[in-house]
Amino acid sequence: MSEYVIEMKDIVKSFGNVHAVRNGQFTLKKGEIHSLIGENGAGKSTMMKLLYGMYPIDDGSIRIHGDHIPSISPKIAIEKGIGMVHQEFMLVNELTVLENIILGFEPRHGITIDFDKARKTVEQYINQYGMDIQLGKKINQISVGEAQRVEIIKTLTRGANVIILDEPTAVLTPQETKQLFVILQNLRKDGKSLVFISHKLNEVMEISDRISVMRQGNYIGSVSKEETSPAELAKMMIGREVFLNIEKTQTKPGEKVLEVKDVWVSGEKEISKIRGVSLDVRAGEIVGIAGIDGNGQSELIEAIAGLRQVEKGSVLLDGKELGGLSPKQIRKAGLSHIPEDRNTRGLNRSMSIKENLIAVQVGEAPFCKGVVRDDKETMEYAKQLSEVFDIRPRDPEISTQSLSGGNAQKVVVAREVSIGGKLLVASQPTRGVDIGAIESIRKILQEVKAKGMGVLLVSADLEEILSLSDRIVVMHEGRITGRLKAEEANEDNLGLLMMGGTASAKERGSTT
Amino acid sequence: MNVAVKSIQKILLTMLLALAIGALFILFIGENPLEAYGALLRGAFNGKLKIGTTLASFTPLLLTSCAFAVAAKAGAFNVGVEGEVFLGGITAAYIGINWTFLPAPVLLIVCFLGAMTVAALWALIPAVLKAYYRVSEVCVTILMNSVALYITSYLVSGPMSAGVANAQSLPVTVNLPQFMKPSSVNAGLFIALITVVFMIWVLNKTTFGYKVKTVGTNPSHAEYVGISPKKIFIQSMMLSGALGGMAGCIEVLGVHGYFLNNFAAGLGSNGMLASLIVKNNLVFAPFMSFFLAVLKSGAMGMQQSTGVPKSIVDTITAVFIIVATMELLFQFKDKKNKKEKSK
Repeated sequence: MSEYVIEMKDIVKSFGNVHAVRNGQFTLKKGEIHSLIGENGAGKSTMMKLLYGMYPIDDGSIRIHGDHIPSISPKIAIEKGIGMVHQEFMLVNELTVLENIILGFEPRHGITIDFDKARKTVEQYINQYGMDIQLGKKINQISVGEAQRVEIIKTLTRGANVIILDEPTAVLTPQETKQLFVILQNLRKDGKSLVFISHKLNEVMEISDRISVMRQGNYIGSVSKEETSPAELAKMMIGREVFLNIEKTQTKPGEKVLEVKDVWVSGEKEISKIRGVSLDVRAGEIVGIAGIDGNGQSELIEAIAGLRQVEKGSVLLDGKELGGLSPKQIRKAGLSHIPEDRNTRGLNRSMSIKENLIAVQVGEAPFCKGVVRDDKETMEYAKQLSEVFDIRPRDPEISTQSLSGGNAQKVVVAREVSIGGKLLVASQPTRGVDIGAIESIRKILQEVKAKGMGVLLVSADLEEILSLSDRIVVMHEGRITGRLKAEEANEDNLGLLMMGGTASAKERGSTT
Repeated sequence: MNVAVKSIQKILLTMLLALAIGALFILFIGENPLEAYGALLRGAFNGKLKIGTTLASFTPLLLTSCAFAVAAKAGAFNVGVEGEVFLGGITAAYIGINWTFLPAPVLLIVCFLGAMTVAALWALIPAVLKAYYRVSEVCVTILMNSVALYITSYLVSGPMSAGVANAQSLPVTVNLPQFMKPSSVNAGLFIALITVVFMIWVLNKTTFGYKVKTVGTNPSHAEYVGISPKKIFIQSMMLSGALGGMAGCIEVLGVHGYFLNNFAAGLGSNGMLASLIVKNNLVFAPFMSFFLAVLKSGAMGMQQSTGVPKSIVDTITAVFIIVATMELLFQFKDKKNKKEKSK
């Protein structure tokens, strides 16, 4: 019997011309949490999808419990005790939690499903690992964190001993992440082996026993947690030193470019998701909005951009009332906008890089002659932006479908920053992008500020807010719970305000 | 370019497969499929009349398939092309009969403009309902097809009736010249071809085309960059309607010379099929329209010279759609190829 539960050796996998994995190595011991890290597009998800049998491997070997498995399929993987929690959850919205868990593996009672037995089995797991799940609810009624726990339970009920979690924390709030980590530790205690895919180094350092690094499809090395540091891991991931904490450039804030006055906005499901928010942004400063996801930040930004109806209150951009203006008119008034979701809002994934780069200037000079698009000018412009913003690959003709998260985001940033304007709204500008791209996007935001634009930055990443903002506004449940200068803010007092802490908490925070 | 070659391969393969399955059915009824297909081809191409007839049934399909594809590019599923053909036809007939004060060439152009305008306005109704009230354009256009049919039936049986046994209008005073008599193929074929080429150009080269494709593929992105999805949706539905109206106009002025009740039955749905099979690709849609036209016009010849009923053609068309939508089939084939290569 081998020391390893899983052994993947010399794995090679390409999709068409893209070499997703060139030289993949991975081993997993029983009862360990093994993190697989790397930038976006490094091949970590692909490695695990290969292990789960979602694609056939081109070359190399996979051993599970020492047995060589020549061709693996999800069915075989499940039989061998491998479970996978995908980045996008594979749940049926219209069914209840319990139905989702047993889907495809229903215990039967003659021709009917034995729900009692199913419930008993599932509840046993819920209690054993201390998970908070309501079995009777439908998937569309539960939170993302809960849906993730459902996915974990699903793998357990199918007898998984090895659970692969593909970037599980990308969709979670810090609190939910903590909950998840407790569950993961319980699973480890119980002898389960876990693979944790991530590119968030602090999380990796917190949860893992061992860490393997991949870069551009190649295996770089494995280290145990005790022997390494975030800095070393970052260096392994990128191949050079990175500096995320950029020195803040000091500028003198000028005129108010954005004034939000007592704005109320409806959310998707509730009316008045935002209740009476007021804030302003001056030219040449970055105002950060901190807050846990889903506390009204998205709605506020969409209201400013004209993508969502304002119930009452007013928004002024450079002194101009935006109420009733179309998104196009608001952009003309001087708004640039990096949206939080680059896949649905920011990019048209079915179009090429160059087409995406001119998306807001379609039909405007110099990108058209009369009603005809000017392809030459477009190409010229796209080449130039690709160079300046280091969009890789350097071919503006290729579809944005195939871009990695970081490069896709660079296309959005390049487009929005290049059109200039008075105000740049940057919503989660570095979410789900690799460290190299984070570094360059943060630098760009600083440059934008230095050029005299006002920047409104929304981020769930406190570190980002702290390292970039001149002033910080904290939102909780659709209200502003605190306004701080950058010097007086730290993770503790911001954290308290994000949880809905009061003014006194703020006092307390600012004195520490 | 590689992608285009692959799609062509796929379409050809689909054609062959559909024909092969059709052949199986022919075998089942005890006939020789080769003979039947031979008769079908002869029925479509043997002699001037037959070639002309095939081209004549190809003409409206060119436009209706293009009409469906244009709407589909903006994300609309316009089942209403057939109704638009009817209304375009009746408008052309009305103008062609009554506005004789205009000189003939002007009248011809006015017939086209009138037909396209009325049909575009007809398409405006479902477009607005969808864009502003989220009413499914599929349901509305299906229902409106019947309405359009009945409006025109009423008109040619009543106010516009020629007073003959058939429900039809008086003859129009302008005609599109027919050039392969006795078949009814006419100058409309060239108008349709030019129009299709023009539409391909519009969608690929113009700002409007870019906007249509953006809205069709990602409306929330369109909204965000400042393109109004509602406006573009409505505009492309109206454009689609106008193309349908043009088809109606050509049928009336070029083929019949008057409005014949129910003349467009199947034109809209066949155009939709042609477009759907090639995934609304404007370049491939004409070829698919041609293939369908060949099947349709050859079917009668096949029925006459062999014992195979012409409805077998409908079976082949149906199989065609099924096969064309079976993407998986080809994915499997791709995988197999790759495996073999890597070995």
